[in-house]
Amino acid sequence: MENPVNSISSPVAIKVSNVNKTFQLSDIKTDTLKGKLFNLFVRGNSRKLKALQNINFNILEGENFGIIGRNGSGKSTLVKIMSGAYIPDEGGEIFRNGSSMLLNLGVGMSHELTARQNIYVSGSALGLKIKDIDNIMGHIIEFAELQDFVDSKIKYFSSGMIQRLSFSIAVHAKADIIFLDEVFAVGDAKFRAKAIDILEKSMIEKRTIIMVSHSLANIEKYCKRALYLKNGEMAFLGDSKTAIAMYNKDND
Amino acid sequence: MPHILSQKIRSWFIATNSAERVWMMASIEFKLRYYENKLGLMWALIKPVSQIVMYYLVFQVLMNQQVENYVIYLFVGLLLWQFFTEATSGTVKILQTKKYLYEYTNMKKIEIYLASMISSAIGLFFNLLIFIFGAIIAGVYPTYHYVFFVLIFTNLFLLSFGVSLILSNLFLLFKDITQIWGIVVGFGFFLSPILYRGDLFSSKLPLLDYLNPIAGIINNTRNILIYSQPPDWSMLMFDLTYSLIIFLIGFVLLKKYSPKASELI
Repeated sequence: MENPVNSISSPVAIKVSNVNKTFQLSDIKTDTLKGKLFNLFVRGNSRKLKALQNINFNILEGENFGIIGRNGSGKSTLVKIMSGAYIPDEGGEIFRNGSSMLLNLGVGMSHELTARQNIYVSGSALGLKIKDIDNIMGHIIEFAELQDFVDSKIKYFSSGMIQRLSFSIAVHAKADIIFLDEVFAVGDAKFRAKAIDILEKSMIEKRTIIMVSHSLANIEKYCKRALYLKNGEMAFLGDSKTAIAMYNKDND
Repeated sequence: MPHILSQKIRSWFIATNSAERVWMMASIEFKLRYYENKLGLMWALIKPVSQIVMYYLVFQVLMNQQVENYVIYLFVGLLLWQFFTEATSGTVKILQTKKYLYEYTNMKKIEIYLASMISSAIGLFFNLLIFIFGAIIAGVYPTYHYVFFVLIFTNLFLLSFGVSLILSNLFLLFKDITQIWGIVVGFGFFLSPILYRGDLFSSKLPLLDYLNPIAGIINNTRNILIYSQPPDWSMLMFDLTYSLIIFLIGFVLLKKYSPKASELI
């Protein structure tokens, strides 16, 4: 399947080529030395689960790209591979152009650290110098509406607060690529509105956003292109309206 | 080769913010360890002091071991041993506890280790200051031999780093490595010349001097810090080579297993 080339030929932000992902599922417990020794001669039932098969596509710089599919279709696995947390099976390759941040509940944050410490660690990991982080600290806190909790450990935060914080960091630290994995499921209406406002602006700022969501309305509204995953395979790549229509037809 | 190396170092300090980040993470971790509660820093002092009192009673008073300046003698052993156990036991699960950092692709995993090692090193440095202070009170004054401690410290750092790389990557495969290491550390404490005389140790168990790299490190540190002697060079060279091999094994394991860390945990 070929990518439809955009009218403006921006550089590639992410290139996914020949990505397969197989998980080994075993019913005997062998992740301890004890378990390994006791089960040395036991052959457990181990089976392979092909989570992703033959995935190839490009995402261009500044694009808002959607990924849809049913539960277990491989969306989150694909996002984890694209963000570098998982590695694809041999032969698969991911090319990323720039810094990236995956936003999922609490990912990329330590619950043992305070909001301020998390901002420093994440900001630095995204490539900022400490003095740059000092400069944007106020904006991050303000956008996330956490003024009163800057020096509290985030383990005491609600999931919505954590989500706001990580989103705010990603936006202000200017991550080149932002992965949003079901981000809008939490967060109240007011914050959602702010976040969507940012999404719209990011299109202008040449930043790439990859959105995974069950909210088809959001995908349709904010993503021009989308990938429809079905049982770990690419069922459709292209115009998001068509992708959603196919998805709806399959699930009727 | 030196050219490539210098370029690597340059890029670390100037082109990227890795060095700055490692230092920041190390100081955050240090604060978490010692300033977590009000008792934190006090606790860091109470622990070695109570240990010294206990061992002093048993070994010097009850068993009459007759080591001169036994308190500062003990202090040296405990100080180095504490660094080693803290740096290794504290990092066995590092690939699990620092999982949240994997999502950042431009951050290398080795930075996570380095930060944790440096944070333990800050602790060692503070203890060392207390030691020097205590030694002066006991009448043992610093000499130019203290400079050699840089070599010993490098050796210990490399060894602890290597062991922590090995353990934490084995942890991905065997979750019970934590318990196993706890037992090893328990044995190691008594198979190192921490409590008793180093010369007795070396003459009765000469093999252990070579099997257990900490033994040589402790004996050499005492030579430098207490007895105003240069280190035993052949022992130092042996321990350095030992540590380098351990480190290289750890590094290979890191390259092999850590990319799969977020799937294996």
